[in-house]
Parts: sequence; structure tokens; C-alpha cells
Amino acid sequence: MSVSHSPPLVLVADDDPDILDLVRYRLERSGYAVATASDGAEAVRLAGELGPALAVVDVMMPSLNGFEVTRRLREAPETARIPVILLTAKAQEADVQQGFDAGADDYIRKPFSPRELSARVQAVLGRR
Amino acid sequence: MLEALGIAALTLAALSAGFLIALVARRGALAREERRRAELEARLRPLALALVAGDDVELPELEADERAMLAEAIGRLSRRVTGDARRRVAAYFAGTTAFDAELRALRDRRAWRRATAAYRLGDMACGDATPALLDALADRDADVRAAAARSLGRLGAGEASGALVEALVASSVPRAIAFRAILDVGRDALRDVRRLAADPDPALRAAAVELLGWLGDASDDALLIDAVDDPSAEVRARAAAALGRLASADGAEALTRALDDRVYFVRLHAARALGHVGERDAVPRLLRQAREDRFESARAAADAVARVDPDALLEAAASSDAGPHLHEAADLLRV
Repeated sequence: MSVSHSPPLVLVADDDPDILDLVRYRLERSGYAVATASDGAEAVRLAGELGPALAVVDVMMPSLNGFEVTRRLREAPETARIPVILLTAKAQEADVQQGFDAGADDYIRKPFSPRELSARVQAVLGRR
Repeated sequence: MLEALGIAALTLAALSAGFLIALVARRGALAREERRRAELEARLRPLALALVAGDDVELPELEADERAMLAEAIGRLSRRVTGDARRRVAAYFAGTTAFDAELRALRDRRAWRRATAAYRLGDMACGDATPALLDALADRDADVRAAAARSLGRLGAGEASGALVEALVASSVPRAIAFRAILDVGRDALRDVRRLAADPDPALRAAAVELLGWLGDASDDALLIDAVDDPSAEVRARAAAALGRLASADGAEALTRALDDRVYFVRLHAARALGHVGERDAVPRLLRQAREDRFESARAAADAVARVDPDALLEAAASSDAGPHLHEAADLLRV
């Protein structure tokens, strides 16, 4: 886990270090602070500890998948209001629907456009 | 005699010691090289990230090994991105010696080198590689063909879609790779796919019809409805599945008719598709199919009724001639 300090804080969870680096780089360039987690359990723990403004969560992760992470964030009162954007390689309707059912606010398909991701983060934070 | 044996033993011991020293030295050299590469990669990583995901950056003067490492790092990041980031990757590689070297390597006599080149060219994102990759799709080595197909998909090469469908049907490229490559090409592949849906070869028609279910839209309904009456059962089944995937309400009549098909897997896909379309008029016919002997098609019909009209399913399951599939679907519905 690593944290860079400058608000607003975005938590990014993915087990792929290349994606973590790309998302972190783009979001930091867009003026966000970024905390990273490499699995679902760490993401849930960090969300509770750091209270990020938003979480970007990969669907396919070890220990807890992105749907389960979203559900757990929604269940805990201190993390229930954190907006979640899911990163998914599975863009099939059923998976997207499952993400929304779990409480996700938006989803982005992988491979992804870093600029689009940054714009979506801004849009979701702007809605709140 | 003993003296000779002693000399031989000493010689063997000396050789073994020499061999061990050489192994240790080699291992040390490899470890040093690995450390050097890791340090180089860590140093160039921010530059690679900036080039792929960042704003415009000025490229510093780099040594040959640094350029090679940067190309490797950008290529790996390129697999994760799309849109403007891919365009930045393409702009970086266009006209570079690294890109030209990979194009040349497609003609290398070693298959592994050709395969690596075909793979890297997809990561480099330059559309100029398309003609060479199309040639590589006919390479004598299976790994080269697979890498070329994957890269053509990553390049979104619409002009390659016909060749990719043919490779899919001929099994010259593993099905999953060819299928994925065509999906990666996306809607640019549609023109070729639609053309192949009318090909005289039933295998090509079947593959094209299946792809239309993934890539097509409502404008493909008429073509798919015609395909439900195709002479080939494989085409009929895949056309039914495609209509279901597109949730085509216009296809409901053809799908209901397909429940009378003589081939069970056509009936199976028609039943599933009617479940997706939500066609209530087909429920009586689906209930009849749910009582037939063929397990797969009967099960699919019962599941379809559960989706389309749960009350009708529960009512049918209560009758004495319901059969196992209606009972099971009704039990699942109650759960």
C-alpha cells in the first residue's frame, strides 16, 4: 500500500501493477491524491481507514472481487456513501448489471482510456 | 593402474570444480544483468507512463539499451489502454527503428522470433503493420498466426476481419483468439461479417451469423431471421442464438417456428432466445417442448417459460403430465 497526500483522495484497487500505475499517474496528473490496493480485502480495509472521496475497483481481483468489495463498502456505514467505479474486462450486460446491483455508480471497460477514466471520476464526484 | 585411476579422478574433480565455478559466475552475471534491467526499467517507468497516459512530454536523449527498455515498457502498458492512449503509443512508435525491426523480424527464419514480432507489433499500435500481419496470418507456424490474429484485433484492423473469420472457420488460429480479435476490431468488421453471412460455405455462414449476434444491431434482424431457415442446422442454431442475444422482437415469429425444427440443438437455441426476447405468445409451444424426451432442448424450454411467464410455468408444473424439467424449473422459481 502507498499513499500520496493531496485531496480529494481516490482509492484504486487492482491486482495488475501496470493498471495501478496508469490509473494513479492519470489521476495524479488530474489533481487527485491516490491510494492503491492490490486486492479486494486491502481495498475494503483502506476504504474504512482513509475514507476516500471515490473508489476505482477492478472486478476480477484475488481475495474479494469488485462486486463483493462494492457490497461491503455499501454495508458499512462509514463507507456506504463512497462512490464506486468498477473496472471490468467483462462488458457483458449481466456483469454490468451485477455491478450496479451491488451498488456501483459507474463502470469502465478494460482496456481503458486513462483520459476517459479521469473524466468519469470527475463526473461521478461532481454528481455527489 | 592405480596411478592412472588417481589421475583420472583428479582430472574429473578439477573439471567439476571448474564447471561449478563457471555456473556460479554465470549465475552472478545473470543476477547482475537482471538488477541492471530492473533499475533501468524503474528509471524509465515514469517516462513510459507519461508517454502513454500523460500529457505531451519531450523525449530525452536515450542510449540504445534505454530505448529498447522504454519500447518494452510502453508495449506492455499499451495492452492495458485504448483510445487516446493507444494513439499516443502509435505516435511514439511510428517510423522508429524498433517498429521497423519488428516488421523485419516477421520474416525471420526462427518461428519464435516471428511470433514475438507479430505480438509486439500489436502493442505498438501502428496501423502500418496491418498488411505484414495479414501475411503473418498465413504463416506456417501456429504461434505466429495466433500472435498475428491477436495483434490485428488490437490494431482494430477492419480490413483484416474477412481473413480473421476465415482463420476462425479454418481453425488456423485458436477459436478464442480469432473470435476475440474480431470482437476487438468491432463494428469495422461488420461489413465483412455481413458479406460472409451469405457465403456458400455453411461453416463461414455459421461463424458470421454467430458474430452478428455480438457485433450486430437491429438492422441485422432480417438477415438473421432468414438464417433461421438456412439449410445448415449449425447456421439455424447460431442464428437463433444471435436473435436472442440481440433481443430481437422481430425475430420472435421465426424463433417460435424454429421450436419445430427437427434438430434438437436448433430447438434448444430457439427456446433460449425466446426466453431472452420475452415472447409470451410462444409459451404454449415452449411448454410442449419442455415435455419432450430430449433433455437439453426440454430443459431450455422450461427455463425460457420461467423467464417469460412464471405463472404459466407454475400452473403447468402442477399438472400430472408436467415432466421433470417443468418441475425443476418451477422448484427453482419458488426458491
